Amino acid sequence: MTQRTSIHEPIIEGIAFAIIEVSDIEASAGFYKKYLGLSNAPHDALPDDLSGSRSMALQCPSGQMLVLVERATPRCFPDTGVHLAYRASADARDAICQSLNGDAIPIEHYHEDRPAELDDNCYFADPDGNRIQIVIDASSDREQGVLGLDHGAIQASDLEWAEEFYIDQLGFQVDHRVGWKTSDYIRAQVWKDGKEDMAPGTRRLDQRYRDIPGGKPGQGRAVARPNMQVFLKMGSTALGLYLALSHEQEPSTDKIKGTPRIAYKTSRAALDHMAKNLKSSQGNFLGPEDIGNGTALYFRDPCGNFLELWCQKDS
Amino acid sequence: MADVESISHSGICVHDLKEAEDFYCKVLGAETHSRVNFKTQDALRGRSIHTTLVLDDYLFAVMLSEDWMTIPDKKIIHGANRTRHAFCVPKARFATIIERLETHAVPFEGPKAHPEKGPFGESVYFRDPTGNFLEIIWRRDEDTPYNEVQALGHGGRGI
Repeated sequence: MTQRTSIHEPIIEGIAFAIIEVSDIEASAGFYKKYLGLSNAPHDALPDDLSGSRSMALQCPSGQMLVLVERATPRCFPDTGVHLAYRASADARDAICQSLNGDAIPIEHYHEDRPAELDDNCYFADPDGNRIQIVIDASSDREQGVLGLDHGAIQASDLEWAEEFYIDQLGFQVDHRVGWKTSDYIRAQVWKDGKEDMAPGTRRLDQRYRDIPGGKPGQGRAVARPNMQVFLKMGSTALGLYLALSHEQEPSTDKIKGTPRIAYKTSRAALDHMAKNLKSSQGNFLGPEDIGNGTALYFRDPCGNFLELWCQKDS
Repeated sequence: MADVESISHSGICVHDLKEAEDFYCKVLGAETHSRVNFKTQDALRGRSIHTTLVLDDYLFAVMLSEDWMTIPDKKIIHGANRTRHAFCVPKARFATIIERLETHAVPFEGPKAHPEKGPFGESVYFRDPTGNFLEIIWRRDEDTPYNEVQALGHGGRGI
């Protein structure tokens, strides 16, 4: 029996930084600077585990960072629900779209299932296929570029395990579930009929395995279904979990620091609390480690997604 | 004697899986055994979407219907929409079940007494959140062993 303790206040104060993999760091940095208005971050802002890699930290006006790390075969998951969403004013979003249009970079206006994002249907991809969403921040008066990182969406091979981890260990709460109601399946049929444009990872055509006695995969009728998703929330931070629709090779289980990764900002007390919880539940983690001007705790969710809690020193 | 001996398990079709899980677990005291279609492998096999629940020794699944089902008017509490599931409880726990229905604001009819010379004692009738008809009953012959559960591995007939 584990001796986890619950923490009643939100332990996450937003995304501190996100690390994505790219194939050409200069090309990608140029893309994010030109279209999203990101700038070079201070030289010492790079996470320490990337010091041996070709990597670069870019900064949003909010102080949040996007860290690019160069890989020969970047893991980007372009055909899935995986994406990063950035906040921008409506004017800035329009300016970004105009700039993308000018360079013939496709902009998608499909929808996700989370009601809170109904009107935030502006998506495009970086040169490697890392998907980007722009969500409107009505409080921002910036006319150019994004303000900061809003939320991330990742995929999991076992949505029950993942949900339990993010709720029980990290303290997220369920904001919205997809795939649990008949109405979700009726809506999936609308997508199949070509009457609704939905984002990658939100819909699927299942091959019913029992349609043909003795049948083999692929021989059954294709049934339109929503893909299972759960959207979690803590304070103003949201996280989308999409069921993975293909088997992905997970990094070796002894690898605790890795990429792609989302690092959430927290307090030192909450970081220590999380370390204690992970220890009591025999979870794999590294830290807390003092890194530059902060302290970091590294771990993975049950499906192999890399995560980090980061706090400023003396927080 | 018929070749079949008893009900092994059953499926109850619902319009909202989470709502159904909450109802059967919180109101009737079921426990979640497993869920299907929340893993990549289930999606690739195109499996149905359902949660298996265990209520004492009874195994049943709440199955998500992918189409709207015809549901009788919610004002009808005692009925059968093709099927009604009746769960048995000891007489001593019958009042507790009624209290629980009241606590969770589940409309019900009953208790209704059955004929004194029959095996059934009293029943209470209600519906799950989708509108499936349900019944809780206690039996007058509850102390009499019948259809005793046999050890596994022999087809259930003690042979």
